[in-house]
Amino acid sequence: MASPPTLFKLRRVETEAGPLALVTMDNGEDWRKPNTFGEAALRSLEEALDAIEQEAWAGLVLTGKPFVFAAGADIDEFGEITPERAREGGEAGHALFGRIRALPFPTLAAINGAALGGGVEIALHCDFRTISSSVRHFACPEVLLGLIPGWGGTQLVPRLVGAEQAVRFIVENPLRQNRMLTGPAAFEAGFADALLEPVEFLDESLAWLQRAIAEGRSPRPPADLADTAEVVRKARARLDGQVHGAALAPYRALDLIEGAATWSLEEGYRAEEDALAELLPGPQAQASLYAFYLVERRAKRGAGIPEAEPRRVQKVGIVGAGLMARQLALLFLRRLEVPVVLRDLTQEQVDDALAWIREEVAGLVRKGRLSEGKARFLSSLASGGTSWDLFAGCDLVLEAVFEELAVKQEVFRELERVVSPECVLATNTSSLSVTALGAGLAHPERVVGMHFFNPVAVLPLVELVRTPSTDDVTLATAWAVTRKLRKTAVLVRDAPGFVVNRILARQGAVVTDALDHGNTVEETDEAVLRLGVPMAPSVLLQLVGPKVANHVRHTLHEAWPERFPLSPTLESLARGGEPVVVEHAPRTVDELHQAVLEALADEISHILEEGVVAEAADVDTCLLLGAGYPFWLGGITKHLDQTGVSQRVVGRPLAEVRPARVPA
Amino acid sequence: MARMLREVLYVDGARTAFGRAGPGGLFWKTRADDMAVKVVRELLRRNPTLPPERINDVIMAATAQVGDQGLTLGRSVALLAGLPTSVPGFAVDRMCAGALTATTAGAGEIAMGAADVVLVGGVEHMGHHPMGEEVDFNPRFVAERLIDESAAVMGQTAENLHDAFPHLTKEAADAYAVASQRKAAQAWENGVMDGIVVPMAVFTDEGWTLAARDEFLRPETTMEALAGLRTPFRAGGRVTAGNSAGLTDGATAALLASEEAAAELGLEPQMRLVAFAYAGVQPELMGLGPVPATERVLERAGITVDDVGLFELNEPFAVQVLTWCDGVGVAPDDPRLNPYGGAIACGHPLAATGVRLMAQLARGFRDRPEVRYGLTALCIGLGMGAAILWENLHARG
Repeated sequence: MASPPTLFKLRRVETEAGPLALVTMDNGEDWRKPNTFGEAALRSLEEALDAIEQEAWAGLVLTGKPFVFAAGADIDEFGEITPERAREGGEAGHALFGRIRALPFPTLAAINGAALGGGVEIALHCDFRTISSSVRHFACPEVLLGLIPGWGGTQLVPRLVGAEQAVRFIVENPLRQNRMLTGPAAFEAGFADALLEPVEFLDESLAWLQRAIAEGRSPRPPADLADTAEVVRKARARLDGQVHGAALAPYRALDLIEGAATWSLEEGYRAEEDALAELLPGPQAQASLYAFYLVERRAKRGAGIPEAEPRRVQKVGIVGAGLMARQLALLFLRRLEVPVVLRDLTQEQVDDALAWIREEVAGLVRKGRLSEGKARFLSSLASGGTSWDLFAGCDLVLEAVFEELAVKQEVFRELERVVSPECVLATNTSSLSVTALGAGLAHPERVVGMHFFNPVAVLPLVELVRTPSTDDVTLATAWAVTRKLRKTAVLVRDAPGFVVNRILARQGAVVTDALDHGNTVEETDEAVLRLGVPMAPSVLLQLVGPKVANHVRHTLHEAWPERFPLSPTLESLARGGEPVVVEHAPRTVDELHQAVLEALADEISHILEEGVVAEAADVDTCLLLGAGYPFWLGGITKHLDQTGVSQRVVGRPLAEVRPARVPA
Repeated sequence: MARMLREVLYVDGARTAFGRAGPGGLFWKTRADDMAVKVVRELLRRNPTLPPERINDVIMAATAQVGDQGLTLGRSVALLAGLPTSVPGFAVDRMCAGALTATTAGAGEIAMGAADVVLVGGVEHMGHHPMGEEVDFNPRFVAERLIDESAAVMGQTAENLHDAFPHLTKEAADAYAVASQRKAAQAWENGVMDGIVVPMAVFTDEGWTLAARDEFLRPETTMEALAGLRTPFRAGGRVTAGNSAGLTDGATAALLASEEAAAELGLEPQMRLVAFAYAGVQPELMGLGPVPATERVLERAGITVDDVGLFELNEPFAVQVLTWCDGVGVAPDDPRLNPYGGAIACGHPLAATGVRLMAQLARGFRDRPEVRYGLTALCIGLGMGAAILWENLHARG
């Protein structure tokens, strides 16, 4: 899918200050397809610069098509790239952007919309910048993709806004869920010389440049970079705490920012080119680009979701009023804005949950995210009690009661007595068989698993579990609801632990086995953290609760006893006890790290052969969105394939493993 | 309860450049409502002593009140222009007299004491809304011969004028058109338009550019060139693209205030609204409309045509102006008539045109302090005419 080339369209505009070169970046598409810089775009920029350099101008204004400035380099051209091509790409950008910087008259970047990566960098090569207060995306996300801003970004950002801001903008924001600046925030941070309203943004930008010309205004003097070494040293320490040395790009970006304090711009350009030649063809950038594609494009398309017309969901039921249930109720309330009823065994439990929901809604008002009227309306939609009759008229009921098959089966039997035959019956079970939950129902075709991850507000994944009976309309409805909840669903077949919990449990099995054999918690934590995952296994265990973790272990042990052995340590922790050392035979952290990788490769190959998901990409999407696995591992299978672990353990890359039999 | 009517003053007016309607035109990729927003904001910028919350109503005209001209334009433009939500607005339609009707409606609010300050204007993006395209003519019009079929096509009503008044020849019409182009070119050269036309950044297939000059200007127009043009409305006709106004995209807005509010807010009013009149004529002779409207407004003001020192008349068709000249006794080359050229040169974005006439009259008043009264008038589809009589606040003596 080739994206249309972005062209640099030059027009001459006569003003009182003299003729202005007005350059528009435009790929001829609407805002949904942003401008990007591929080879064709750079050729177009070269032609525009050839024309501009031949004439006398009072100034230049560079802007984007409506609602978009430029989203940076065209990442579709990055796959399978050689170090030579990566270096050439860097050189081409430096040469062209450098020519903008060298123009002998004042230049202004009028940042009218999203500016990312190369879009930010081209703007930094202008003398001045205006930015619209409506801009929501101003960022250099390269580090998230295993890269560095390599068209002058690492050199010009510190010169413009100082080392502290540069570290935050180039290194820390991309690693904080790809945080981006708004127009006002970018102005506040010093990236722009003027913050203008969107309504007459370009008119006012033209006027701003004319005034600057008339006043003979000079670009701001470079920031004082005396503190750079110290700022970068502290940033490195924070980075060690976050990624444990696992990610290359953020460290390389810090090196380049540090260099900016002493290098000439040309020296900085060369250093960026070296970094691009190293990073772009490298495994982490290639894995990150793969992960970006999965999360931003593939998952949003809904791979494998049937085309059926979803049913309207006008009333939602939540069975249970516990911690998970109330979080889910709040999410449905906020995103669907339909009546939500909760039911639990006692009115006290229900009232407690309703009070919690109303308090959360009130908190949103205090943060300015909801109006008081809207909050009143949302609160009025939540109700609950102890009777099953409350669920009459629901279009979807999601149960989130205690993880026990008989309890949940009873819930579904009771529900079927009060709801219509079309009402979707969903379960948030994490380890039980959804098929078994639906057994014995008159209409098992409307049973589906919707497995959310805790904390619900943070983790975007929902495992959408289909049983052999689940029909297309039910799946389509659950998918549509998930989208409205602003979550991303991955379709999985009903199998113990589905994907995320099964993989984390297998990883946990390596950890508890090590603890059973005398390794310390620090050692097992380090063995896993070395991957670059956000949470140590010991912290994860506390979050889930040792009791629940052990329950999951038992479920999986029943299915695959040899891969999920019961652990004396886990049994003890679940009872509130201490780790139990069965035999003192600790392994090194390196050995443990390898054992974790091999266990992951093995388990994922089973998941794929069983057809729990269609392909390795689905496993990676689950880990990226449901467990916070980092982009630079490409979830995990990309990393396992790149490093040869898959080959060693499975005999082939996981990307090539397909279901051994057709999934039910 | 006895009450005093209040004087209504014209403070300021602005317009966009006028563009050629259609895919090749300057405004093809620009929304009509955004064009109206541009001129409204220009007025606010030019009159900084006016607190926006003191605007009591925003009245916007459009003939096609759908698409980017739908959604109760006056209100939506107010919101889009960043006026406080406390400022209301509405939309009006009287075809070519839309902005003029917005003006008299706003004047009514001010005179009644219902408002102190009103923003009025009009917009017509004839590229996005070709005339009559979204209209469903009632078949009774034709079945019951309520109107002649030609009344629906403005060019045909112009041909009808030539038929009805055979002494108004094509040569006279062409000569008028050449003069209009010449006067407009002079006005642009002399900077007259700089105070009226506000440049606007517009997005096009070739990138952003500045719409700063009317696209229809043809200063080089000659009688010889006009003689050879096609007559699109009938074979052997007399109305051509050269002696009529082209299909146009444009927006206008003006600021009206009561005498008291203007003084209180430190505004600089240019004209006083003396009287206005609307009139109806046979729809197929639509262009006759301004004649009875002019007669009526002069009668109401108690003055004669000789007391009027400036006429800003719309020029949808040269023959329509000639008909008016004939009817009220003003020579087509009278220097009082359209001194800065007219719609034949700049274009005629239907509902927007009225404020263009006022803005040019206000400029004419400033240049001619010896003039006391001026008239803005235009003809209206379905057989109507509109006229507003103004007094020059810069007049000497």
